Formats: sequence, C-alpha cells, structure tokens
Amino acid sequence: MAIRRYPRLHLAVCHAGLLPLIFFALFPFYFMLITSLKGDAELYDLKAIPFLIRQGIVTEHYRFLLRETLFSRWLLNSLLVSGVATVIALVIGTIAAYALARLRFRGAESFGLAVFITYLVPPSLLFLPLSQVVNALGLTDSIAALMVTYPTFLVPFCTWLLMGYFRTIPKEIEECALVDGCNRFQALLRIVIPVAAPGLICALLFAFTLSWNEFIYALTFTSAADQKTITVGVTNDLVRGDIYYWGSLMAGAVVGSVPIVIIYVMFLDYYVSGLTAGAVKD
Amino acid sequence: MKRVTRRQFVRRTTAGLAGILAYRMPPAFAQRREITMLGWSHFVPESDTKLKQLLEKFAREANVGARSDHVPNVQLATKQAAEVQTKAGHDIMMFYNEQTWRYRDQLVDLDDVVGELNKKYGTDIYPFCKEAFFINGHWKGLESIWPAIPGNYLQSKFRQVGEGPPDTWADLLRAGKKLKKIGHPVGIQISHCIDAHTTFWSIAWCFGAKVLEADGKTIAINSPKMAEVIEYYKELYAEAMEPEVLSWDDAGNNRCLNAGRCSWIHNPVSPYAVAMDKKLPIADDINHHSTPAGPAGRFFAPNARAYGIWKFSKNTELAKDLLRFLYREDNLSEWIQAGNGFNHPMWRYWEKHPVWNTDPKLRLLPAEGVFGRMRGWPASPSDVFGVIDDLYILPDMVAKAVGGTSTKDAMAWGTDQVKRVLATTHG
Amino acid sequence: MSLASSSRPKSREGGLLLPAAPFTLWRGLGQVLQRESVLGYLLVLPAVLLLVGLVAYPFITALWLSLTDSYVGRDGSFIGLRNFLTLFTEDDIFRQTLRNSIVFTTSAVAIKTVLGLSLALLLAQNLRLKRLIRGAVLLPWVIPTALSTLGWLWMFDSLYSVINWTLLRLGVIEKGLQWLGTPHLAMIAVITVNVWRGLPFFAITLLAGLMSINPDLYEAARSDGAGAWARFRYITLPLLRPVLAVVILFSTILTFADFNIVYVLTRGGPVNSTHLFATYAYQVGLQAGKIGEGSAIALFMFPILAVIVYLQLHYARREV
Repeated sequence: MAIRRYPRLHLAVCHAGLLPLIFFALFPFYFMLITSLKGDAELYDLKAIPFLIRQGIVTEHYRFLLRETLFSRWLLNSLLVSGVATVIALVIGTIAAYALARLRFRGAESFGLAVFITYLVPPSLLFLPLSQVVNALGLTDSIAALMVTYPTFLVPFCTWLLMGYFRTIPKEIEECALVDGCNRFQALLRIVIPVAAPGLICALLFAFTLSWNEFIYALTFTSAADQKTITVGVTNDLVRGDIYYWGSLMAGAVVGSVPIVIIYVMFLDYYVSGLTAGAVKD
Repeated sequence: MKRVTRRQFVRRTTAGLAGILAYRMPPAFAQRREITMLGWSHFVPESDTKLKQLLEKFAREANVGARSDHVPNVQLATKQAAEVQTKAGHDIMMFYNEQTWRYRDQLVDLDDVVGELNKKYGTDIYPFCKEAFFINGHWKGLESIWPAIPGNYLQSKFRQVGEGPPDTWADLLRAGKKLKKIGHPVGIQISHCIDAHTTFWSIAWCFGAKVLEADGKTIAINSPKMAEVIEYYKELYAEAMEPEVLSWDDAGNNRCLNAGRCSWIHNPVSPYAVAMDKKLPIADDINHHSTPAGPAGRFFAPNARAYGIWKFSKNTELAKDLLRFLYREDNLSEWIQAGNGFNHPMWRYWEKHPVWNTDPKLRLLPAEGVFGRMRGWPASPSDVFGVIDDLYILPDMVAKAVGGTSTKDAMAWGTDQVKRVLATTHG
Repeated sequence: MSLASSSRPKSREGGLLLPAAPFTLWRGLGQVLQRESVLGYLLVLPAVLLLVGLVAYPFITALWLSLTDSYVGRDGSFIGLRNFLTLFTEDDIFRQTLRNSIVFTTSAVAIKTVLGLSLALLLAQNLRLKRLIRGAVLLPWVIPTALSTLGWLWMFDSLYSVINWTLLRLGVIEKGLQWLGTPHLAMIAVITVNVWRGLPFFAITLLAGLMSINPDLYEAARSDGAGAWARFRYITLPLLRPVLAVVILFSTILTFADFNIVYVLTRGGPVNSTHLFATYAYQVGLQAGKIGEGSAIALFMFPILAVIVYLQLHYARREV
C-alpha cells in the first residue's frame, strides 16, 4: 500500500538499500583497477593513500602484461574453452533436463541422483585420475582437454537449473502443441525452450563463468605457454618465487573481466526485454 | 542467401575443421622429435628468457624441437604428480628438496652426465647437493639453482641502534630488541610457507637440534636443544617481531623489507633484486651478511632445485644431451649470468663467476653453500621429511608456542605429529 | 504413456537431427521416438556418457586410492578403511578441518542467501541505471577467481591492507589487524571473500526467478488488500522456492568444496584454522604425496554432501 502512495520514496529507499551492497561488490574491483594504474614506487610506499593515485597514472603494468607475456593468446584460449565447453554443456544439459522434468521412464530418479553424487567429489582430487583419462584420449597439454573436461562440472548444474525452469512451465502449453501434431522434440524446441529462455541464459552465463574461472584442470592439463588460459597464465608468469608483480596481476584481473562483463550486460538486457515483451503468456 | 554448392560446403567445412585441429596440433612438417622441460618461473625473468634462447640454440644444433615451460614453484608438486600418474608429460622435470627422493624410482640415472661434468668442473661440490640428489648410489638430479639465504638487512636501521650486521642468532635477538623499539622489527615467517621451514631448520641446526636421528627412524625432536629453539623463537617473536609474521606467505618478508619497515629478514636476495629492478631508493640501504651462526655452528637450509629425467620419457638419451648442452661451460656461464646470482650449479668451480663479483653486495653468496644442509639432516632426505614439511608441522609447532602454548606442550604436539608421520609414511 | 501418433504425415516428422530417410522409415522411427521411455533414454544418453567416462571412472579410481596407502607414482597396498579411521580418530588437523568446513559453509551460504535475496528484490525494482547496476553487481562473479583472490590478498596484507588503513583512520582500531595471521580473523576474511564472490550468483539467479513470476498474481493480491510482506510471504517465496532450493544447494556444494580462496589467502593457516577439505586434501595428497590419505580426506565430504543433496532434492521436487 505504501508503495502505491509514495512511489518516489519507495524508489529512494530501494536505491539507498542497494548502496552498501553495490559498494561491497564494486570496491575491490575499484581497488584492483587503481593498483593496476599505480607506479611501483607509490604502490610499495607505506605512506601513500591506497585509494588514490597521487603520483600519476602509469600504464606500465598493462604494457608489461600485453607485450611481455602471452596475455592476448591466453585471453583467446579462455574464450575458446569457455565458449565451447558452455555450448556442449548447455546442449547436453537441456536435453537431459527436459527428459528428467517431463518424461517418465525407468531409472529417471536414480539417474538424477547418481549424477549429483558423482558431482560431489571435488575437482581438486578428481584431476589426478582424470589426467589419465585425458592422456588416453590423446589430449594432454592442449585446450581441447579443457573443452572436454569442463562439461563434467557444468552439465550437472545446467541440468538442475533447467529442470527447475522446465517444471515451472505449465504442462498445458506443451499438451496443446502435442495435440496439434507436434512430437516431443518439436515441442521441446519450439515451445519449451523459448519460454525457458531466461533459465537458459542463466545457465549459459554461469556455465561460461565457471569455465572462465576454473583453475586446477587448466593448470594440470596445459603446460605449453600458448595453451594456457588466463587464470593459469597470469599467475604462472607474474608470480615468480616470492616476487609478485602486483601491478600487472591486477591489470590481468581487470583486462580479464571487462570484456566478459560487457557480454553479460548485453545478455541480461536481452532476456529482460524478452520477458517484458510477453514471453510468459498464457 | 547465396546458394552454396555441396562441394563448396564440404570444402569449407573441412578447411574449418582442419583449422581448428591445427590450432592445437603441431604442424605436419614438424614431425621431428621434441624435447620438453618443465621448471619454475624464475625470480629473474631474464633467466627464463636465456633458457629459451639456449634451447633454441640446442634445437638448431641437434635438429629437434626444444621447449621449456614454467609454473610457479609451489605448483611444481601438482605437475609432478600428474605427470607421474599418467606417465606422460615433459621429458625433463624440475624437483626441489625431497622431491627427487620421492620420485627416485621414476628418474633416469645421470651418473654418466655427472661423470663427464666432474671431469671439467672437479669434484668439489657442496655437500647438500650430494645429500639431495645422489640417491642409493646414483645421481638422479642435476642441480641447477640453489639460492643462498643470507641475512638481508637495512644498514641505516642497524647503524641507528649501534649494531652491525648480526653474526649469530644471539646477535640478532639483541639487535632485534632495539630495532623493534624504533619501529623496525625483524621478520621471520611462522606460517604455512616455504620460508618458514627454511629458517626454522637453519635455527634448529645452529642450536644443535634435530627432528630425527641420522638413522632416519629415531625421534629426536623432543630434546632440550629443541626446547631452546622454541624458547628462542618465543623471545624473538615477543621482543623483536610483530604478529604480522604469522600471516606472511613467502613474499611477506620481501614486502616488509622493501617497504623499509622490517630491518632484517632471512631470505634469498630477491628483495634486493626487485629493488634494483624497480629502482626503489631502498636498494642502497639493503645489504647482506652470512647466514647467522649458533652455538652448534653455522647452518642453513637451501631450497635446492635440480633437473631430472623421467623414465617414461621417450627421449631419455636426447634429454641427457640437452643437459650436457646446458651444462657446457659457455652455456652454463651465460645462464648463471642471466640469473643475477640465483642460478648456481653444484660445483664450487663456479664460485669465481663474475656475476657474484661485480656487485659487492652479492660477493658472499657462493661460499654460503658450504653451510647448507638438506632438510632432515642428519638423517637423509626422505618422504618423511617431505611430509613433515608439507604439513607445516614445524612452523605450526612454533606458532602454537608463540601464541601462548607452553614450550613443553608445543614440543609434545610436534613430537606427536612427527610420530604419526613416521608411522604412516613409508620410504 | 503413449501419445496418439499423428495421422497427418509431416515432412519433418521425427525431429531435426535425423537425416533424410524413406518416408515409412521416418514414420516408424518417429513412432518409436514418441515413446517416452526411448526418447527419455536417448536424451539423457550424452549426459550419462560424459559423466560415466569423465567423472564416474576417475571417481572410482579416487575411491580405490582412498582404500590404499598409495603414494604419488607408486602403487600402494589395500588397507581398507584404515585411512578414514585414522583421520577421524588420530588426526587433529582433520577434525579441525571438519569444524572449519562446517563453520565456513553454513556462515557463507546463510549470508549469501540473505544478501542475495535482498539484492535480487532490490534489483527487480524499476531502477534508474538498471543496466549499469546489474553489470556492477556481476563483477565479483566474473573476475577470474585466482586473480580476484590475489586482489583480496593485497587488501588483507599485513602491511599494505587498505582495510586496516581505513579502520585506523576512522579510529575504529588502534593498531593494524593481522587479518590473515589471527585464526578468527582469517576465517572472517575467507568467508568475506567467498560471500563477495558468490553474491552475484545468488542475486542474478534469484532475479531471474523473480522475473518469471507472473505480475498478475501480485496485482490480484494487491487488490485483495495484501501488504508487501504478505505478498512476499505468500507469493514470492513459494514461487521462488524451486529456484532458491537449486541455488542454495549448488552454493552449498561449491562452497563446501572451495579450494582457491583458502589456498591463495592462507594455505590453510594460521595453524590450520582455515583448512577446508579441499585444501587439506591437496596438502596431504599432492604436496606431501600421500595420495591415498588425500583421497580419503576429499571423500569425507561425500556422505555429508550426499545427505544435503538428498534432502534438497526431495524438498525441491515437491510440486509447488
């Protein structure tokens, strides 16, 4: 009721409530950005103010990152690996989720359970036996190994998320289509997927991010400098013994995330507008 | 949309697929053998660059491919484990400390290579190199890098309190008390990192303490000498250091010194290297002195690194040739130069290399080697010490003590942990 | 349950993935695929293959390893459940790890749920700069974890900590806090970083869930006289439950198995007060080389998580 009467107040309160959360989310990034632009002298100066750059902005760290390391190659590798792994995981996950959510067949329940039981063992231990499998497939020391192994932790997540979304879609929509002469496949493709688009995009975004962030498999299955992904390449080249190249490390963090944020922002926009255009119609 | 003929379609798809495959496969014409090595990301990037150049030279001379990959040293263990489990990976691998012992059965004997090199460089080698890499009568690793660990100190602060560089741990304690009062404490890690071990073992040996007897089986950690070590740490922590040492990683003490706050740390000369590289004013103030001594003598625990050849490698003879090439006098000399003083093979022959004789602050480094011992001394390196180190039992024991536990209880805890490791570790 | 097969032949019946084939074969195939069971198995087949080959097999290997006293690179001998027993009865570091994991996971997930839900509710409003704010909120999730954790390491550094700097200037503390060197503070530090990183996951997924709730329901409730809290309790929460359940479950699993944050910030210290199962398993299994014991430690997570999964699965499957 209060919302009706004082819409401006309501909005103001909402904005105020957001502030601390946004600050919490953003401050570390701001700090990383500042660190990447500070000269070394100021960075290691105990008397300097951490929030500001007073001795001039320095592009040295970015230059070092982009020229002296294979950063652009690592960026490309990360994009490739995350993209391919996400697509694979989404396709496999979507059809599996549909089957588990809509179709009734023997073993569906136990399959669902079994999937998540094997998911519970952490990559930090699975990677050692997994490296034997990867080696048997002839994929050692290449990003192809990552494209093949990443779906193992992406598929369960995608399947579950999409199961949840598929379930919230009223069965009547599909029944109508089936009565009209579609088969299950067409129902899946033409009816269910468009309605579940928000869920799909969610799954896509998170699968992509989980792949992007992954570290242990990337460390184990790639060694050659030109096969590394961002996470491995940056930490390997910029942490030497007990010397950390802080400025360039933070530059790596910044450059490694901004393009992805842009993609995210684009997609988020799309599905929100898709929704308001009446995707959830009776 | 333009109609695409089937032929065009097939051709384009194949080209595309081929492109994707080529992305990760070596080009068809380079079917020649390739030899690969894995090492750490060196303190000094120029050393890695020089290694790359040397490998290119070797590749041209031997008409093979040669490549060196690098990971931070703390990730070497992961790579070693993965490669040995899958029996596939690099031909030459870097090992440090007990790792050569751990993988001794999977490494090729290097006696022939060492024999040849001994003829040129003599047999005067640092004792700890033999302890670490000469296992069961065979050389399993070729030593490449062992940074000396002198005391790094800020001359101005020591002058300010009327002290000179400390020659013994007792001197350090005395100076440290004064230095803490003027706001520039000393710093030794007591945390989960490699430096914490390095210094602990150094202090322990200087006091005459040990963890296991020379037979490698009898517990020796609970002794009055070890109690002295713990007491020393307690006093040093309370009166000469700040609680920050409990949170430091390997780089923490570097930062402290380079920031001008800590006046003394026990570390390879990397802070000085960074200061020179980044032209920080503190570079003038930093200097080094020999690792401190104690009542039982002068000892320290170097982190010795060596290259070994996996038995599962398909290029073992070629790998040996590569090692012979790298350790050839001219190449080795270049490599040592590029390492700014960190690269240091096991022969004392090399102590006269100019890299240590141009900057007076680095002159003491090579001779430090004679004080080095491998972790676990007087017992031989073995899996037991690998486990003790990797579980951080010794720094934790000290951490408990400085955190308030009595010396007796802390030592008892340490003893229990060591007993457990001994009981559950074989080899 | 079989559906009535179509009486009107369609040229693309049978699905897009099948190649062109004689018409009668089409129809036959199409009919077979109409059967739920066949289609069901076919659709889950890729997932099954992937998971059996790349998860189940390594998992069984890890299970086998945990029943031996293996060392890396050397075969060990079968010792049954001895690893598990000694861990629980003799290894006080392991017991500490268990305590740490429970504290870490419950705190982090609880905080993320509350903050995430609040954030989602706020983001669902019609705000100005919606795009920008949503993008901003996403940043922690999107920055590669290995690197953002290094950023936090710098922020918690004993000398250069910006947090200490601020607190000192504000007069809240008198001397810099040793965030990563004091047991309780270190736990707070790793929880903070985990919450920071995981918050967008909650917020955005819950936001999507909120967005798919039909706004007509709210209109109807409003005209019926329901207040904001009532609307939240009787419409939002129940409809959000499936998504909330999924998010909480996955977050619990991911948080429980977290490795990177603790590894980079404290490596399990100070004095093992922040060790989680994954980091301790790594330390024992990989760094110390006792792969049998390391596998046992990692597998200890298993029964705990299996119970949670089962409960959640059961709970989430109930129709709304």
